[in-house]
Amino acid sequence: MKVIIDGEAVDFELGETVLEVAQRVGRSIPTLCHEKRLDPVGACRMCLVEVQGQRRLQPSCTWKATEGAVITTQSQRIDTHRQVLLSMYVADHAVDDQGLPKQRGVGNQLRDQVLEYGTGPQLPQLPLRRAVREHDANPYIHFDAEACVLCAACVRYCDEVEAVNAIALVERGGRTTIGTADQQGLLDSSCELCGGCIAVCPTGAMTERPSLGIPPAPEPIRSTCNFCGVGCQVDLHVTDGRLTRVTSPPPGTTVNDGNLCVKGRFASEFVHHPDRLQTPMVRRNGVLEPTTWEDALQTAAKGLLGVKRRHGADALGFVSSSRCTGEENYLMQKLARAAFGTNNCHQCAAT
Amino acid sequence: MKKKSGGTEVMHALEEAGGARSGVARAVSGQTGVPEATLYGVSTFYTLLAKPDVELRICQGTSCALAGAFEHIAEARANGVKVEAVSCLGQCDRAPAALDARLEPVIWGGEGHVLPADPELPIDLGGADTAEWSALEKAKRIGAEAVIDEIRAAGLQGRGGAGFPAHIKWSGVRSQAETERYVVVNADEGEPGTFKDREVMLRRPHRMLEGLAIAAWAVGAKVAWIYIRGEFQACRRALERALAEAKPDLEVRFYDGHGAYICGEETALLESLEGKRGMPRLKPPFPTEAGLFGKPTLIHNVETLACVPAIVERGGDWFRGLGRTEAGSKLYCISGHVEKPGVYELPIGVTLEELVQHAGGYVGTPKAFSPGGASSGFLPMAFRDTPLDFKSLQAAGSMLGSAGVVVLNDSVDMAEAARWGQVFFEDETCGQCAPCRIGCSLQRQSIDRYLADRDAEHLAHVGVVHGEMDEGSICGLGMTASLPLLSAMKHFPGDFV
Repeated sequence: MKVIIDGEAVDFELGETVLEVAQRVGRSIPTLCHEKRLDPVGACRMCLVEVQGQRRLQPSCTWKATEGAVITTQSQRIDTHRQVLLSMYVADHAVDDQGLPKQRGVGNQLRDQVLEYGTGPQLPQLPLRRAVREHDANPYIHFDAEACVLCAACVRYCDEVEAVNAIALVERGGRTTIGTADQQGLLDSSCELCGGCIAVCPTGAMTERPSLGIPPAPEPIRSTCNFCGVGCQVDLHVTDGRLTRVTSPPPGTTVNDGNLCVKGRFASEFVHHPDRLQTPMVRRNGVLEPTTWEDALQTAAKGLLGVKRRHGADALGFVSSSRCTGEENYLMQKLARAAFGTNNCHQCAAT
Repeated sequence: MKKKSGGTEVMHALEEAGGARSGVARAVSGQTGVPEATLYGVSTFYTLLAKPDVELRICQGTSCALAGAFEHIAEARANGVKVEAVSCLGQCDRAPAALDARLEPVIWGGEGHVLPADPELPIDLGGADTAEWSALEKAKRIGAEAVIDEIRAAGLQGRGGAGFPAHIKWSGVRSQAETERYVVVNADEGEPGTFKDREVMLRRPHRMLEGLAIAAWAVGAKVAWIYIRGEFQACRRALERALAEAKPDLEVRFYDGHGAYICGEETALLESLEGKRGMPRLKPPFPTEAGLFGKPTLIHNVETLACVPAIVERGGDWFRGLGRTEAGSKLYCISGHVEKPGVYELPIGVTLEELVQHAGGYVGTPKAFSPGGASSGFLPMAFRDTPLDFKSLQAAGSMLGSAGVVVLNDSVDMAEAARWGQVFFEDETCGQCAPCRIGCSLQRQSIDRYLADRDAEHLAHVGVVHGEMDEGSICGLGMTASLPLLSAMKHFPGDFV
């Protein structure tokens, strides 16, 4: 099956949208409300294209490719539409000294699109009409209504991916905003503070509160989250030797598919905490002393073997942390059974 | 992951529990299983739910504004009444109008007029309304295909504003493989200047219900929903009385609107009926294929259905012949600066001049008229002899829409009148898509700034913003929302110097 994109016949699979096909063959179509993990809604209107036989421009994110359909993604009509629409978005958005949408969080796609596609006339700025929950005392998620384009990706993520539904579109028209029931703080809602709303926000209107005003690191360090055994991949943003932000790799690239939980995204204060153990410790004569791994492991082995010799192997029990991976748990039970000869082993998450 | 959406009981539960008042969303969430944030999003969308404490809602639509609504608003405020200026209440013939806390009308103007009884009129607002329902019997005798043929021959176009041929919708629903089908009556009349459906429901409820029964039978629907403006309690009572008399072999359910003009758009209406925020759907698919709860759905305006019994009784050709420039007759509403505001059933294609003759003549020297509600903008008196039909008005850059004609005389500053229209659209845009949401605010801001200092520079971008609202909006609201200002600037440059 073939669809004609800008004069080129392109293969497609049943169910593919025009956006998916066009992007696959390298067309540049801007989007704000589109997010792979969510049902497309065609609301931001950035991705409109010409479909032959249709009087109106149509959203490529929802329009299905069909045999022989003739699609135009680049034309004067589309340029004018995009540029005036971008002018309108800018008039409804916080801007910097140059009149560009402010850079926030991990980036502002609206700003990127203004720079890439240009704008129409400069329109007078509108006053901010969207309410923000100023009293919201949650420590992690900051909502800045000035930068919101109401694509509702956050709301849809909270519904479709997390099934938490802590936030919704509330109010109507120009006053529409992202809100909670009775506009309570997130701590009084069903929110689990996973921060997925931040990850899907195209403009940085949703940002990590601990990282407010801190730009993303140019080259984050890929690591594995150590809070549980799932093995979520994380990108650690390190600025001047300090961890400033944790993000997920893009959806579709790692086991966590772009998602993180509250611990993985936000519970990283321990990294620079003064109480954090930085070397192995051994208790001698009732006092903990720093030592080497070699010494610590020898001391532990000696103690365990001593218990076995005096009281038998079943006097020992091995409990592993819920933060261990499957492989680590396997090794731990093997240590219990093969090295010490006991079946007394347990994984603390196995309740 | 399954979405927890609303349901037809949600809106009523929210209303009973107190709308957007604190704690309501959580309580109703407990009853319905719908997430509390979602429910709060619903109750803040609809003005009747969002502001449950208002004591007096005064209409600020064009005709009410002309009749002194703003003075009434100021007076009520001064008297300490919890008053809210609201969008058109569909009482333009009795302007100025308001609603009390129980949503019953407070009328300061006179009574509206209709033509005297005349059996040659398809709807005949002045005629006696009875539960006879002989057209339904005839329909069943001649068969569904023959009925649809008559509707086609009649040239009946949707009377809600879009003018879509009715028979295409009927055949569309009837031919679906899915047998669970619905008919929905759009009785959410809210276009400023329009109050014809109100009169049909009050005076001829049997006409509409019989038309509904014929339509449901012809397309194979067992259940019909009447989505009726919450502000039209008297209409609902009239329909319920008529239903009790006629006892049709059809399940008819009522659904109260809760204050959102956009729910007159058919897919927004369906969303609302499903207990959600009334935000229009992307089309296709059209409701005839996937409508209410995803099932094939025939949606018609009150007036459209009220035309059906006469078409079945007297034949499509008879109905078509009633029109002058297009098929059939039409309920024309007229209000504003005329002597006898009201609803007049006349051949399609009458001119303003003829319509005003029925309405007793102009009050003062006419300057402008709005032929089909706020979305049609304004035309100057040079168009007083233009046929008021779908094609002629479109050619004039306007539209027949719902045929809610408002006449403005030379005491009116058209810049001020344009502002009323832009305030209306800013209040009523749903906010889903950016061109309409942002555009409506930009246009209202432009005219406000212009009126403050009369500097035409503030109006420099009205045209380009309209262009994108027309091009990029999801539904018709955004496409036409700039017309009050745009048409006033075009036809009345003298008021914009």
